[in-house]
Order: sequence, then C-alpha cells, then structure tokens
Amino acid sequence: MAAIIEVEGLTKTYGGKRGIANVSFSVEEGEVFGFLGPNGAGKTTTIRLLMALLHADAGAARIAGLDCWKQSLEIKRLVGYLPGEPALDPNLTGGQILEYFANLRGGVDQSYLKQLIQRFDLDTSRKFRQYSTGNKRKVVLIQAFMHRPRLLILDEPTSGLDPLNQQEFDHMVKEARDDGRTVFLSSHVLSEVEKTCNRVGIIRAGSIVRIGDVAEVKAIKRYEITITFASAVPAETFRTLEGVADVETLDHGHAVRLAMQGSADAVIKAAARFPVVSLTSYEPSLEDIFLRYYEADGVPAKEAQGVV
Amino acid sequence: MWFRSVFLKTLRDYRVAILGWGIGMGLVVVSPMASVAALVTTPQAREQLISIAQTFTWNADAIAVDTIGGYATFKIGTFIFLIAIWPLLAGSRMLRGEEDRGSMDVLLSLPRPRLRVALEKLAAMWTALLVMGVLIGLLAFAGGKKFGADFGLGEGLLFGLNLALICAVFGGLALLISQFTQERGPAAGWTAALLLVFIVLDMVHRVVPNSEWISRLSPVYYYNLSKPLVPGHGVDVGGMVVQLVLAALLSGVALWLFARRDVGGTVALPRWLRLPERQPSRALPVGDWSLRSVYARSLGTIAMPTLWWTLLIAGWAGWVVYVVQLMETKLSSLLSGSPAMINLIKNLGGGDVNVNEGFLSAMFIFLPLFLMAFSVTQVNLWSADEQDGRLDLVLAAHQRRLGVLLGRFAALATATVVITVITLLVSFASAAAAGLSLDGGNLAAATLGMIPLGLLIAAFGYLASGWLRTAADTGLLSFVLAAWFFISFIGPELKLPDATLRLSAFYYYGTPLLHGLSLTSVLGVIAVAAVALCLGTLRFIRKDIAV
Repeated sequence: MAAIIEVEGLTKTYGGKRGIANVSFSVEEGEVFGFLGPNGAGKTTTIRLLMALLHADAGAARIAGLDCWKQSLEIKRLVGYLPGEPALDPNLTGGQILEYFANLRGGVDQSYLKQLIQRFDLDTSRKFRQYSTGNKRKVVLIQAFMHRPRLLILDEPTSGLDPLNQQEFDHMVKEARDDGRTVFLSSHVLSEVEKTCNRVGIIRAGSIVRIGDVAEVKAIKRYEITITFASAVPAETFRTLEGVADVETLDHGHAVRLAMQGSADAVIKAAARFPVVSLTSYEPSLEDIFLRYYEADGVPAKEAQGVV
Repeated sequence: MWFRSVFLKTLRDYRVAILGWGIGMGLVVVSPMASVAALVTTPQAREQLISIAQTFTWNADAIAVDTIGGYATFKIGTFIFLIAIWPLLAGSRMLRGEEDRGSMDVLLSLPRPRLRVALEKLAAMWTALLVMGVLIGLLAFAGGKKFGADFGLGEGLLFGLNLALICAVFGGLALLISQFTQERGPAAGWTAALLLVFIVLDMVHRVVPNSEWISRLSPVYYYNLSKPLVPGHGVDVGGMVVQLVLAALLSGVALWLFARRDVGGTVALPRWLRLPERQPSRALPVGDWSLRSVYARSLGTIAMPTLWWTLLIAGWAGWVVYVVQLMETKLSSLLSGSPAMINLIKNLGGGDVNVNEGFLSAMFIFLPLFLMAFSVTQVNLWSADEQDGRLDLVLAAHQRRLGVLLGRFAALATATVVITVITLLVSFASAAAAGLSLDGGNLAAATLGMIPLGLLIAAFGYLASGWLRTAADTGLLSFVLAAWFFISFIGPELKLPDATLRLSAFYYYGTPLLHGLSLTSVLGVIAVAAVALCLGTLRFIRKDIAV
C-alpha cells in the first residue's frame, strides 16, 4: 500500500512558543491511524497543518502525494475534516449547515446524507446554538463523512458522543476502512483507538515519541501478576528473575504483586516451588501504556526505548 | 489584583473601551469648540449664528450657542446616538454574551449567588461609564481651556456625569431586553431602535408647541435638561435623579429576571407579544438560496444589518432633503450674509451655500460616515469569524482562501450598493414630496459616490485583520474613521496643511451634491481600496488561520 499521508520533519512554532518540532510519520492508504497525545501535545497543530489552516515553519506534509500547503485545494477534494472544536454559524439549523457544506463541496449524495442523519438520529431542524455538545459533534461528523472522502481527518471525533453514538461512529470507521478509505483520528481516549485503529502514533510536547501497530505498542506492556500462596514466601525469590521489574509483598508475605516486562516463564517456574492459592494477571490497556510514556515528565521508560 | 472578583475582572475587560470610548467621545465633544471663535468674529456673525441655531432646535436646544460650552452642547445634540453605542453593546453583552460563550455556566458554578455575580458585573459597567464620564468631562474642560471657554472643571465633570447617567439608562435597557432575547445581537438592535425613538420623542417638544408631555416619555429629555457647559444654565438635579432612577430600575428588573430564569434561556413573553415562529423543516435539502455559496451565505448573514443601516442612512438622507425645503426661505436669508457660517458649512462639505443644495451637501457628509461605520461592523464580523474558528470548516470544504475572502467582500460590496441605491431613491422621493428641485446627477453622485469610501474602509479592515485580532482591528478602524472625520471637520479651522487634509477619505468625497464627483478622486479611492484588498488577500492566503 502507498502512503496517503507523508509528514517529514514538520515544525511549527507560535511566536516562539512550542507547537510541534520535527514531526515525521506516514499513514498507509486504507489504514486507520490513531494519533495519541495529551492536551497541548501538538495533535491539533499537526492536523491543522495537514488541512493547510496553518503554514509550517519547516518540513513537509503531503497527502496523496500533493503538498498540503501548495496543493491544498486538490487535497480538500479528497478529505473529510472534523475539527476539534467545531465552530459554526449558531443561527443555522443542522440541516442548513449540512446543505451549505454539501453545496460548497459541489453537491453530495442526498440519500447517503439522509442515511447518516438517521444513523446518528440527528434532529436537523434545530439551530446549531440549541444543540447539545454531542449533537453539535454529530453535525460535524456527518459533514465530514457525507461526501465519502478518500481520507478522513478527525480531531477527537467522539468527544461528547454518548456510548451508542460512539458505537455508531466505530461502525462508520470500520465501514470506511472496509471500503479502502483511510482514517486519521486524534484522540486521548485510548480504548477508542484500541478498538478502531491499525496503527498508533504517540506525540508528546510537540514531538513524536512512538509509532507502531496497536499490537506492537501493547507488546511493550508492563503487566502485573499477583500470586497468593498458602504460606509466606520471601520476596527475594522473585526479585532477580528475568522479566520482573518490581516486587511488592502483600498480606504479610502470603502474596506478591509483580510488575512484569516480557516473558513470565521464570516467574511461573519459581512460583511452582511453593503452594499457590491463586494467580491473577492484569493486561494493561492503552491508557496504562500511554500514561507510562508521560510519567516522570514524559521521559519514556528505559525498557520501552528502542522498541519501535 | 484584576482577577480577585467578578467586578474587577469585568472592569479589566472594559479597560480598552474605557480609554478608547472615553477619549474618543471626549474628542467628539471638543471638536465643535474649535470652530466657535471663527463663527463669532463680529456681532453680526454672532447674531446670525444664534439665529441659524434657532432653525435647528429640532436637533437640540439652542441656548447660548455663541459661547463655546453652549455651541458644543448644541452640536452634540443628536450625537447621543453615537455616545450611547458602547453602553448599548455592553449592556446587551453583559449577561447574554457570557451565556452565548458558555462562560456563564462556569461563573455560576462558583459558590456565590447568581444575583451577586450579576450585580458585580453591573457595578463594573457603571464604574466604567463613570470613568468614561470623567474622561469626557476632563477633555471637555481641557478643550474649553484651550479655546477660551468660561466653564470650569466642575462643570466639565458634571457634563461627563450627565452623559454617564444617560448611558447607564440605555445600558440598563439593553440589559433588560437581553433577558428576552436568545442572542445579544437582537437585544442591541432593539435597544438601538428604541434609542432612535426616544431621540425623536425628545425632539417633538422642540418642534411642536405644547407637546412637552410627549417628550417627557423619553429618557433623552431628562438628559437634555442639564447643560452644565452652558454658562449660567447648570444641571437639573431632578433630571439627573430621574435618569439615575430609570437606570437603576431597568437594571434592577433585568437582574431580578436573570436571577429567576434558566441560564441560556429567555423570559417568556406573553403570547400576544411573541413573533410567529417559523417551524424549520426537517426535510433535506432545505433549498435555501443563501446556502449555495460563500457569497450567498455572506449575503444572507449581512441582510438584516443592511436593512437597519439602510433605514438609518436612507432615512437620514430623506429627512434632511425633506426638512431643508421647509426651511428654504429662512435659510437663504440667514446664510447669505454670514461668512462664518459659510466657513462652517464649507468644512462640512457644503461649499457654496447660496442654495439649499449647499446646506444639504453639508448634511450629506454624514452619509459616508454612516456607511463606513456599517463597513466597520461587517469587517468586525469577518475577523470574529476567523478568530472564533468559524472559517476552519469552510476552508476545509474545497474552497480557495481567495474565494472565501472575496466572497465575503463581494457580499459587503453588494450591501453597500443596495444601501446607496435605496438612499438615492429615497432622496429623490423625498425631494419630490417636498417639491425640492435637485440636480439628479449630483444627487446620484452624492449617494453612489459613497460606495468607494465604504469599500475603502472595508479593504483596510480586511488588510488589518491579517495581523490584528477582532477588537484591535475594529478599534483601529474606528480610530481611522474618527481621525478622518476630525481632519475634515476640524482640520480647516486648525489651518492644517493641505497634505494633512488629503489624508482623510472625506477629502476625496468632496462636495458631490454641488459639484458632482471628481473622477480622479473616485478612481484614486478605488485604487487605494483595491491595493489594500490585494494586500489583505495576499496576507490571508498565506496566514495561519485562527492563531
């Protein structure tokens, strides 16, 4: 598959204040790419640069081989965009807004538009100012999908949506992926990315700290094992074993909680020498992985470095 | 310090307005003072000034107009409309604006009563008005000193206080109306309309005998009772108390309603007062013409403001044309032998004052001023749209930046043309109704000739919005507009060099009602506007949006 988004050394500052620095990544056509980062990390700046709403200080960004700044008009034919904080004319109804943007795009398939409206159960007769946050998000989501774009660039798309509509959104993303379309979505809701994305990029303080498959990112997990024994077991039994990052003694030595990195083989074998009552393992969510990247002022944990 | 209370924070929000509006309006008051000396050079000229002022008592009471304080008071008669704009906007925005932005929810989540929050905001607005009043009073005093007036600092400050009181009345009115409207815009619009009505009501007793009871219905009447700058006249304490009570009453009722209604909601009007609601259709496509393009959408947005400004501009033109014919005989005899008055009228753009058209020409100078003010409000919307992120999706929807900017500008140009054409038609109709014979070509030149000026200030605004945020852009344009008017109105009296006079756009408007339009001037203004628009466009297509 060819890359539909190519970003190389993209840099943007706001009057000396940090925006993003030397950001590089690429997104293959047909994949769903999650762009993760905490507030102020540079997700929206990157997206606004892709949409030619900002002009980069350095670096290059291309969509479908077209320069994001110089050939932005051609790019916008291909793209459906959902801004992080949608601002629209508060006096227009949802229907009027959708019609306006449909006209600006030279017309859309009305039956597909109606289908989208039905899927999100949107009342198009209300003024934008009267909509709840979630309904405002629905209007802008429909606006992004309604012309069946080749690439969807969505900045925190499910923010404010209720679980039912989040589910509907997940379906729509999957349908888009099944159609061979590409989705680039930013989020700080990691479970959403885990559900819908093939690959993930993590940005922190304006720089990309990691890019990889969702599964690959999960592979760097530091998971936990809690083992309860019939009698007290010395913690030193586990402390030096391969894969053990930390040991905590519980219940007066009758249980241990182990922070694990990598294989658990040595731990299991060592535990088998004692009467085991129970053993539980906790798989980390992307949230846990994500938080680890930003702990200690965001310096990636030692064991995670170089894994990409 | 400024973030210690709602009161201080709100006062901080007003700091630019306090200085800008206070000093700006202070200069408006001082402006007429400069021309008094030239108007009363001889006893005969003084008599004529008094006499002609009597002809315009519909505008304001002509008391001691041969003194600096009296003349300034007389001249700024209807300028109360201008001075009341800020409190009108501030009042409509005070609570409703916060609700629009959603910041009221956060503010009211604080552990303090809703009424106290509103009271602190109201106190901040009144404090701002008081400081503005002091600034205006100080400037009036300074201007009086400079031009040799015989009123002191106390009178100047009382003048400012009286202005602050009438402003508080209209601020309170806007605040009250905003409790019934979903947005701040209609509240400001209705208050402005009521302000006009009240100004006219106040005029009635000066024009129609035995009709003072009608004027007493207007707050402006009580404002006009006090004339601290007029020697020996002083203030009318009763009038000031009435204004204070009115301001407190209107604001008090508004806050009482606010404390009891839903945040973000409105106070329900009785059924018979409600406008019939048009039920929006759920069916798509909506089929609305204004949704077809950026240009059409911009036209749809600008339609309502255009209607209001057309009423103001065309209404002014029609009124002046009609009134001048009624006063023809008196005007002719008064103006023919007064060199000082000729000078004044000339400064205003009147040129030759031997005919009605001369006087009309002087009055017509306000038309391009109003039209340019309309342009400033529309430029404000453009930069606000960008700043608030409303252009993001439009620019993401396969639209060239150039097309978006030019679409908006074209809509403004269309509105400008509509306003001027209607003004022309109303002027013709008014002249016909009054039996006044006017040169049709010159009348067309005087009305349609405003178009380049309207577009010029708009182009400057679009250019400046490439760098400045909304408030700064609007402030800069307002300053430029005031400076141009000041240069053209006061400049000749101050013997400013011709090169300085040429800096004002009004210079190029000339006296079209008398002498037609100078093609060179028109082309010059259009060329400057085109250059500004090109530069603005170049900036816009390269700039970061909403940063």
